[in-house]
Amino acid sequence: MIEVSELTRRYGRHTAVDQVSFHLDAGEVVGLLGPNGAGKTTIMRILAGFLPATSAARLEVCGHDVLRDSLKVRESIGYLPESVPLYRDMRVQEMLDFHGRLHRMGRSDRQRRSAEVLDRVGVSDRSRQLVGTLSRGLRQRVGLAVALLPEPPVLILDEPTSGLDPLQRREVRSLVRELSDEHTVLVSSHILAEIESMCSRVLVMAEGHLIADGTREQLEQQLGGSAGVRLEAYVGLDPEAAVELLKSLPGVTAVALGERLGIHHGFVIEGEGDLREDVGALAAQEGWALRELSSQKRSLEDVFAQLVSGNVADISASKENAPAATMEPTDNDGLLQLQPDSGFNASAKAPPAKKMIYSLNPFDQGTSRELGAPMEIEDPTGNAESDEPGDPS
Amino acid sequence: MRGTLVIYRRELAGLFLTPLGWLLLALALFANGLFLYLVLPYTGGDVGSSLRGALGGGTLFWALMVFLPPLLAMRMMAEESRSGTLEYLLTAPVSDSAVVVGKFLAATTFLALIWSVVPLYGLLFQLQGSPPDWGAVFATWLGAVLTSGLFVSLGLLAATSTNTPLLAAFLAFAACLGWILVPSFGGQLLNSLDAFVGTGDLGGLLVQTLRSSLQAMDVLRHFHFSWRMGVIDTAEVVFFCSWPCLFLFATVRMLEGRRWRV
Repeated sequence: MIEVSELTRRYGRHTAVDQVSFHLDAGEVVGLLGPNGAGKTTIMRILAGFLPATSAARLEVCGHDVLRDSLKVRESIGYLPESVPLYRDMRVQEMLDFHGRLHRMGRSDRQRRSAEVLDRVGVSDRSRQLVGTLSRGLRQRVGLAVALLPEPPVLILDEPTSGLDPLQRREVRSLVRELSDEHTVLVSSHILAEIESMCSRVLVMAEGHLIADGTREQLEQQLGGSAGVRLEAYVGLDPEAAVELLKSLPGVTAVALGERLGIHHGFVIEGEGDLREDVGALAAQEGWALRELSSQKRSLEDVFAQLVSGNVADISASKENAPAATMEPTDNDGLLQLQPDSGFNASAKAPPAKKMIYSLNPFDQGTSRELGAPMEIEDPTGNAESDEPGDPS
Repeated sequence: MRGTLVIYRRELAGLFLTPLGWLLLALALFANGLFLYLVLPYTGGDVGSSLRGALGGGTLFWALMVFLPPLLAMRMMAEESRSGTLEYLLTAPVSDSAVVVGKFLAATTFLALIWSVVPLYGLLFQLQGSPPDWGAVFATWLGAVLTSGLFVSLGLLAATSTNTPLLAAFLAFAACLGWILVPSFGGQLLNSLDAFVGTGDLGGLLVQTLRSSLQAMDVLRHFHFSWRMGVIDTAEVVFFCSWPCLFLFATVRMLEGRRWRV
């Protein structure tokens, strides 16, 4: 429905939008998230045909080119700017009528749709009121009604909840969610929770760049929100040894020893993928008395807060470094020296002995294996895995 | 140009939705009544020439011509851009030219209504038993409307260049006033130059050309020698239609240019 490719917009020397590309499929509700000044409004204005793009490889809405076929694009878009520009001297009904005329709707069509949209946004009782006398929240709703009137396939809503009280925000949010049945919606906000509650997909912008694009889960991964595991257990008298042991698990990047809770110790284990099974298996093998084993996610909120504080470079850097960082501990850990080699690159060496076992040993082939199925292990020492993790005590 | 009519209707209605429109109409009614009352004795009771005097004869007419179009232009362009409704209009499925032409027609229609006050007084005279020369009055009224169109388009052009309403009104006012004053003052200035240049040499030719171009642009002159005489001259119709076309074209371009500066 919306195709944007390498969109750039400059205001004089200032580049407001820099090489942004994304696309929206029909029926998607996508949130444009970013701090103030990130370029959200500029993108929306360009799509709505209010501003021209400085350059763009491709810029299409509903198959029409935004620059060449501007009128067609404007017909298929319901655009609600942040300021909700409505003629203050008109009545709500007159405003809707005017908008319907601009969209060349017939009289009966206008009357039918006006009643429908006013009912939908819940201001049917205000149709005779002057727009200028409406409260901010009501005006927002009327603006939404105006945008919805010609049944546009695409809706572009710029901060539809700004300036509303919490109750009104909730109403607008649920309204936007409902709209996803019939429209493709692009909605912007600088409030994460709002975007999360309205949209299935989020585009994150900062300083004119598109930093991330994806669902909540994908974003958490993309933006370095690595999943961690919290472990609380009685690990004996030497928690440091337990830390070392946990560190040696495949995929673990860092282990932090938390405070002591009675006889239990707290650990936060960070790494790739879901480490709970491995940690659990290790605990079972070591005979640690588990009290808590839970997955901890770095919330999108944290990630976004980092964005707002302006650490764009940090985040993109950490995104690039992330895979490399996960390899490090496995490389220099004595216990796991063979692990990196035992993967796909192992063919260069002499084929070691193989055997099929049911194993709960977390050191066997990392996080990818299924615990319930027999697995093939490479067994360079000839004996089984039982004595491998035996040395730390 | 689809949508022109929709914009036109909305703008015209908008003028009457605020007290401003009604106030200006009432003011015009009063001022023209006063003017006729004062002028009628001087024309020896000639109803027709008094009516035509009210349309283009007095300072009052030209003062209104210089003041009203800038006010309307400010309201239609600068204020809309300030309140954000211009963003609404420019993202609606109508072209920029439809927006500009719709606004232009609405403002001109409003001024036409204001000038219609004068034929209204003519009707009163007729009812009193002294009918004016309706053809001449109508021709003068048409001239006043076309002149209003010229000044409205000039005002729109000036008002589009900024989105500060006050500055827009001032610019439009300066442009309209300049359009009236520059030809006459410029002509006088050129006349004083005559003493320094010969009639045959290059300087003289230059002065001559400048003078004739200034005269050609002199709205007062054009108005007085055709419309006010009650003559509908096609050359004058072309003059009073082509300038607005040029100004409206420039306004549309400027509006497009604004999108780059927003």
